[in-house]
Amino acid sequence: MVDGGMRKLLTGNAAAAWGARMARVDYVPAFPITPQTEIIELLSDWFGDGTLRGKFVTLDSEHSMLTAAGAAAAAGVRVFTATSSQGLVYGLELLYTLAGWRVPLVLVNVSRGLSAPITLGPDHNDVLAARDTGFLQLHAETCQEVFDFILMAYRLAESPAVSVPVLVNLDGFQLSFTREAVELPSAEQAGRFLGPFQPLHPGFRHSRPVAQGVAVLDGATYSYFRYQLHRAVENALTEFPRVAAEFAETFGRSYSPLELYRADDAELILVMIGSYATKAKAAVDRWRAAGRRVGLARLRLVRPLPVAELRRALAGRRAVGVLDQNLAPGLGGILFQEVAGAVAGMANGPAVMRSFVGGLGGKDVSDDEFDHLLSTLEAARPEDPPADVELLMTQSEWLQVARSLTVAGKEGGDHAGSS
Amino acid sequence: MRVAREHFHNLKELPKTEQLEPGSPLCAGCGGLSALRLVHQVLGENVVWVNAAGCMTLLATFPYTPMHASWLYTTMGSAAAGAQGVRDALDILIESGRLPAEENLHVVVLAGDGSTLDMGLSATSAAIHRQLDFWYLCYDNEAYGNTGFQLSAASPLGSLTATTHHGATQRKKDIFEIWRAHRPPYVATLSAHDPLDLAEKIARGKELHGPKLLLSLAVCPTGWGFDPALGDEIAKLAIETGVWPLKEAKDGVVRHTYRPSRFRPVEDYLRPQRRFRHLFAPQRNEELLSRLQQQVDAYWRDAT
Amino acid sequence: MIRVRLHGRGGHGVKTAGRIVGSAAFHAGFHGQDAPVYGAERRGAAVASYAWIDRGPIRERGVIARPDLIVIADETLLADPASGVLAGAETATALFVNTDRVEALALPDSLRSRVIAADLTSRTLAALGRAAALSASLGAAAVRLLGAVPLDALLQAIRDELTAIGVAPTELGKNEQLARDVFALLQPLAFADTGKSLSLAAQSAPAASERTGGSMAQVGYEGVMRGTPSILSGGNSAARHTGAWRVQRPVIDPALCSRCGLCFVQCPDGVVSLDAEGYPVIDYDHCKGCLLCQRVCPVGAIHEERETRAW
Repeated sequence: MVDGGMRKLLTGNAAAAWGARMARVDYVPAFPITPQTEIIELLSDWFGDGTLRGKFVTLDSEHSMLTAAGAAAAAGVRVFTATSSQGLVYGLELLYTLAGWRVPLVLVNVSRGLSAPITLGPDHNDVLAARDTGFLQLHAETCQEVFDFILMAYRLAESPAVSVPVLVNLDGFQLSFTREAVELPSAEQAGRFLGPFQPLHPGFRHSRPVAQGVAVLDGATYSYFRYQLHRAVENALTEFPRVAAEFAETFGRSYSPLELYRADDAELILVMIGSYATKAKAAVDRWRAAGRRVGLARLRLVRPLPVAELRRALAGRRAVGVLDQNLAPGLGGILFQEVAGAVAGMANGPAVMRSFVGGLGGKDVSDDEFDHLLSTLEAARPEDPPADVELLMTQSEWLQVARSLTVAGKEGGDHAGSS
Repeated sequence: MRVAREHFHNLKELPKTEQLEPGSPLCAGCGGLSALRLVHQVLGENVVWVNAAGCMTLLATFPYTPMHASWLYTTMGSAAAGAQGVRDALDILIESGRLPAEENLHVVVLAGDGSTLDMGLSATSAAIHRQLDFWYLCYDNEAYGNTGFQLSAASPLGSLTATTHHGATQRKKDIFEIWRAHRPPYVATLSAHDPLDLAEKIARGKELHGPKLLLSLAVCPTGWGFDPALGDEIAKLAIETGVWPLKEAKDGVVRHTYRPSRFRPVEDYLRPQRRFRHLFAPQRNEELLSRLQQQVDAYWRDAT
Repeated sequence: MIRVRLHGRGGHGVKTAGRIVGSAAFHAGFHGQDAPVYGAERRGAAVASYAWIDRGPIRERGVIARPDLIVIADETLLADPASGVLAGAETATALFVNTDRVEALALPDSLRSRVIAADLTSRTLAALGRAAALSASLGAAAVRLLGAVPLDALLQAIRDELTAIGVAPTELGKNEQLARDVFALLQPLAFADTGKSLSLAAQSAPAASERTGGSMAQVGYEGVMRGTPSILSGGNSAARHTGAWRVQRPVIDPALCSRCGLCFVQCPDGVVSLDAEGYPVIDYDHCKGCLLCQRVCPVGAIHEERETRAW
């Protein structure tokens, strides 16, 4: 079978599996979790039928899966693995560990809301819980980006200036189970962009023993290694444009850490990540058609956070809204805090910033909600009193929730302590 | 009664090459280190240790390590999965010609009883189930020693730990039988007191492919409360009273490699240890002492 | 404020001695803090603890870099640069050393005049029957030197702290008597108590430049191999001389040795090697002094000798 060189209808999950296939990964430790399973099922088939050489192995948990992944990468093979939601947080200890080992591997996370309550629909609380682990984070909007980001992720991870693991995120359902056309390069073309794995670590061998992942009990030395990790992750800001330029040259698709959509002369900017950005673009088009100057800034790279790009993109805007598909209880939207931090202290920073939370647990963000968000931004004035984070939920959705509460025997509210 | 040994007949035949340099931060008289040193000497230098959190994690404390062989500290709960990753990677590299076969290593998990019996058990059970070709050395000092000797699932009935005011109320979890229930090719108990038995078991295991457990009693002067000079005597008493049986199970079939011709009373083992002091003073706890003796008696009544 | 830093080896009771200082200050109505330092090290390895005492709130945490009083339980620590015993000693008012041979101490001349020495080990051995159970005597020495804390606060602190670590009631009296003796033995340092602050008279605030130790480090990206917590120089732990942990030294008499090799086999740290004729040789740079070899020797060819050190 001739690999690739074709345009194919693929789910986001299949695009992820194809990414690993085109990267000619040696090793896939796996553990199933909805909505990620299709990825590992496909890879299992491809190792089984000889399309991929190396080994696919099912572990007993994500914690074990990530341990095996990191250990194998430390030993010198190219590793791919994937998880979602509870799995990501079950293995969270290892995300810190693997980044600390500075091993290059690619982990796909298929975003899904976290328990409790247990749910299946997507949001970004899982992946953003991993934001401080030392993994790079690339967030896809389309199935094409899922595939492309995996190839780019290996280049970033294996670069000597970086050498940290990379997490590629795609949203459950909205990408994982959604099919759209994906350009797959030929194996030869993919191989030109991503050559064979050249390990930077010595691995484990008789003639060259090494102690890896050792304890460091001295605070100054510990600070040194942690700071080296920070610098390595930051180096990806310099590496990303280089890798992206080569990617564009090879495949004709060009990526920046921060995508700007109709933002040039926009007074109002919406900032977000993930697949719902597609709907945000539709909203921008609607508002542009009505003659309003609105635009979108979508982060492809969340770690490292492209602060300079954000500051350039948001300078001088009348209002900036951040749509978070996550909720940090007691804080609000996580990205809002990051974006606000990025523009803090700017002389010509955005005059107003507003925080919105929507699309939790796979809830739709409807056209009405985008319109409400943009209207709120349009009406916002610097002299307004500080605004709380706003939960996006339509009245009809709320009525449906209220009906469910009634069915569950929760007639009326016990308003104790509420305000 | 001692079973015949094929590989090691006297101390002179034991390997003389030290695999560990001195200067480690471990306690003077550490029984876990005794076991590790002897096991490493017999396994040889072609080893990568995959370590779980415990006392031995301190061996490799930056920038020093006593190990000449390779080492990877993983986590408390997933050392066996780390062994899986390393073993699989070595196989892939050798098979694809990227690593010469002579560079191959034995992959050995090094973990204490805390990790082995509880947190790391799921990862280990799965590795055995997958028939991973690896060794697992557990140094069993019968408590969470590295954190100051708190109760673990290996703490024997009645023993005092930092978290059992009146002594452990449960029996020690039987990890030998848990491993054996998975039907791995080899499971053995060891004691540094009997280095020939220890060496012989490693030699037997070396001939077998798959998961192999080496479960060593690790006498712990700090946690058990005895003069470190007495380490070997305590280890010997554990064997001669029948508290620590020396045995192996090849493909699930149990054989005791040593059976004391006359068992000494269990009390002889308990009395020198501070963790059992409350069983003797201010007054003897006859009920618990006889239960402990009965447990050992019952074990050997059924022993093969 | 008076800052006290206590140094010893694991097993000396340095943590408890620090607590006795903090506790005595507390009972005497002062503000106090105490804290031990934790590391990988075990019984016999270098350890330290800290105590702060003042009339007002203690606005410090963590490390005492510039102690006013340094209390050293084991003189061999002076020869071990890694122990950090003399860090910040140049501005200390006094250094107390537990020793019976003060003239032989490895000390820079600039510090010699500030050394106060007493042999606590012999007193402790006589009082308690154990040379290394130094917490009461060390704590008493530190409290006495502080000057501002009375004997009854010290004795209360000793009862509290020793009870807390499980010392039998029958042993408390012996420890209290030992503390009284040490208290009587030493002369307090001159101190100044304004009612708002407490300080040792010779204490002077370091200049700002001294305090920061100079400029901040600038660390850049240093590459993967260097910047990863791994060790490429396997077996380098031999550079750490754990021989200083010993209280007793095992000594082999070759005339009695049967060359059975048991001591070689059983040494946990592998510090017994066999020479060309098969005789065991002990590496005293590293032998931690567990004396397991002495007990396993079937012919009694190994005897123990007290280390020729103060403790």
